[in-house]
Amino acid sequence: MAATQGTIQPGAVSLGGGSRRRELGRWLFILPVVFLNLVVIVGPALFGVYIAFTDWSGVGSMNFVGLENFARLLQDQVFWKALRNNLVWTAIFLVVPIVLGLLGAYMLTGIRRGQMFMRVAFFVPYVLPSVVTTHIWRYLMHPRVGLGQWLSDTFGIDFLDKAWLGSRDTALYGIAFMDNWHFWGFPLVLLLAAMSAVDVELYEVARLDGASRFQQFRHVTLPSIRPTLVFLLLMIAIWSALVFDYIFLTTGGGPANASEVMGTHLYTTAFERFQTGYAATIGLVMVLWVALVVGGFVYLRKRGWEI
Amino acid sequence: MIRRILVVALLLSTLGVGAVSAQDGVTITWWSEVFSMPSNIQEVLVDAFNEAHPGITLEMVGQEDLNQTLRTAIQAGEAPDLLVTPGASFIAEYVDAGLVEPLDDAAAELGWADKVLDWAYQSGQLGGVLYSIPLTYESLVLFYNKTVFEENGWEAPTTFEEFEAIVAAAQDIGIYPLAYGNATWQPSNEHLMGMYLNAYAGRENVYKALVGEIPWTHESIVGATELLRRHIADDALFSGGLENYFANGGDDWRAEFASGEAAMILSGTWNFRSIGGFFEEAGNEWDWVPIPSMSDMAGEYGYELATGTTVSVNAQSPNKDAAIKALDFLISDPALVLKLAADVGFGEWVVPVHFGVDDFPEGTDERVVRFFSDFAAVTGEGRIGYTTWTFWPAAPNVHLWEAVENVWWGDISVEEYLEEHERLWQIERDAGNLLPVPAPAMGGM
Repeated sequence: MAATQGTIQPGAVSLGGGSRRRELGRWLFILPVVFLNLVVIVGPALFGVYIAFTDWSGVGSMNFVGLENFARLLQDQVFWKALRNNLVWTAIFLVVPIVLGLLGAYMLTGIRRGQMFMRVAFFVPYVLPSVVTTHIWRYLMHPRVGLGQWLSDTFGIDFLDKAWLGSRDTALYGIAFMDNWHFWGFPLVLLLAAMSAVDVELYEVARLDGASRFQQFRHVTLPSIRPTLVFLLLMIAIWSALVFDYIFLTTGGGPANASEVMGTHLYTTAFERFQTGYAATIGLVMVLWVALVVGGFVYLRKRGWEI
Repeated sequence: MIRRILVVALLLSTLGVGAVSAQDGVTITWWSEVFSMPSNIQEVLVDAFNEAHPGITLEMVGQEDLNQTLRTAIQAGEAPDLLVTPGASFIAEYVDAGLVEPLDDAAAELGWADKVLDWAYQSGQLGGVLYSIPLTYESLVLFYNKTVFEENGWEAPTTFEEFEAIVAAAQDIGIYPLAYGNATWQPSNEHLMGMYLNAYAGRENVYKALVGEIPWTHESIVGATELLRRHIADDALFSGGLENYFANGGDDWRAEFASGEAAMILSGTWNFRSIGGFFEEAGNEWDWVPIPSMSDMAGEYGYELATGTTVSVNAQSPNKDAAIKALDFLISDPALVLKLAADVGFGEWVVPVHFGVDDFPEGTDERVVRFFSDFAAVTGEGRIGYTTWTFWPAAPNVHLWEAVENVWWGDISVEEYLEEHERLWQIERDAGNLLPVPAPAMGGM
């Protein structure tokens, strides 16, 4: 439609030698990026798929073993425990930081003075290196010198006086707590930016119609920030498959695999057992997870969802 | 014509420069883990070697996370001339890949078998061929808080009965009998597993299991694993129970021990390096004794053999001879070795060469000298044990320290754990991945 009115959409026309030359010119400009992508992304990815079918140790020769690694995966109880923990982790992170971020952002929208300070304050933990955050929280959660022990000794509050990372009932949730502490400022800042962009007239109309604060949030804010919200959910679902550093730096996946996730299992398999081929098979499951999430996102878009 | 002469002269001069460069410009690189590098390494090893070898320049480069860095460098064909690995078990895969130079000829010519402790020399061999020299060795002992012991009138335990009596006495006065934890190093579990295997099942049974003469499900191994399970899970001897053990990092359990909240630790001699600071801060004193035998099967006490990092020559290096000279320079001078080791508190760089009490630098801690003297005498009699990180192939090694947690939590039985351990060992035996194991003195039980 626009093209018939005289504007030319890039790439929409392919008539004559001049256009072909222009098209070729565009490809020549993008070629270095394509080459780089092939070398550092596509090539290693395809290599990763291949070694999932081998017994490669990480150095030296590799032998093709067919589906042996996949058969082992089905029998690997630690892998299934890790997969289950990844699902639990995803559920926690799809809810807790999003709810906290929504609440925090919504409340901050009503603040004019000091909002920037609060934004920075909430965002600072997100930029702290994981090695620093885990070190601090490992002490805060320690049963002998931690916060729980202090609260118990000082105020007689006992319910927090536990070995949070030492118990297999609480290790995964303890790590999820500290990761949430570091992460929730990120959705808050994104959601706050999205909420700030909502047309104020919509709220005025809603108020004229007698909508309460909650109804305004439910019927104006949420639909308006849906693309940002869905983007966050999508990224969290992907990142949850790849979680590694917080667990590796605190429990290493223990006690007794209670906090094991696919990332830590993959690491131990590749770099402790020297079974890189099998580790690549675990990696393929992580890729499959990400593909399913992205596939679901694309499917919903095709169904007309505004995301 | 003049132009031609000039060109020929230029070419000849270039060739001449090239010849001089090839002769004088040999540079060999040696990467070392940063945290374990002695601060005096440049002066004591690098400068001394370079001065003694005109024409060769040794460069020592500190690396963070050396093992990962080295694996990446190997893939890229950029590995240094001297390859340092975290342990003998890591060498096997490099040998399989043809990355490591066999050192038998050099060793024979330079007399390395006489310079390096016999068991350590053997631990560098695969299929009878020498591929590596250990850069450090260590063992496991029982450390005790001397101040707490003196205050309570306790003697350092020399038998299992005495050990159990101290455990009971410590519990009576409300302190932990033992401190330990694995929060900052999950494989710490294997320190305890190794100790109990050697001290309960005995060196002969562990040796037989290592060489496949008895299965890992043998009753002696079951007994050792069950004793540790009882001590750590049922009796909560280590830092008050499993949950504290899993929450404790290295600093935590060292602080518990030094402050007197715990009476003893079962750990490695690498603690010579770090434990002093904790005790100084707490105002207490420490000492050590060999780990008492825990059953009649174990016989008289011995020391577990452990090599830490190893060094090999890169098979792809264009300067293999120069790299071998650097290795020879290191292992030929016990005084040089001890200067390096003393700088890192004898926790690293204790290259296993023959040294006597007089070789130690002046001012060396008497407790350290006592350990190395006794270690030499006892292991010389064949009273040796086996650390899991030196003599276990990678997959069974990981299983040993990882799955034992499931035993401690009661998810699986000791028998189920050892059946899986035996299965993993059988895979390694079938693949010919076994590491060299020096035999102990037999029949001494």
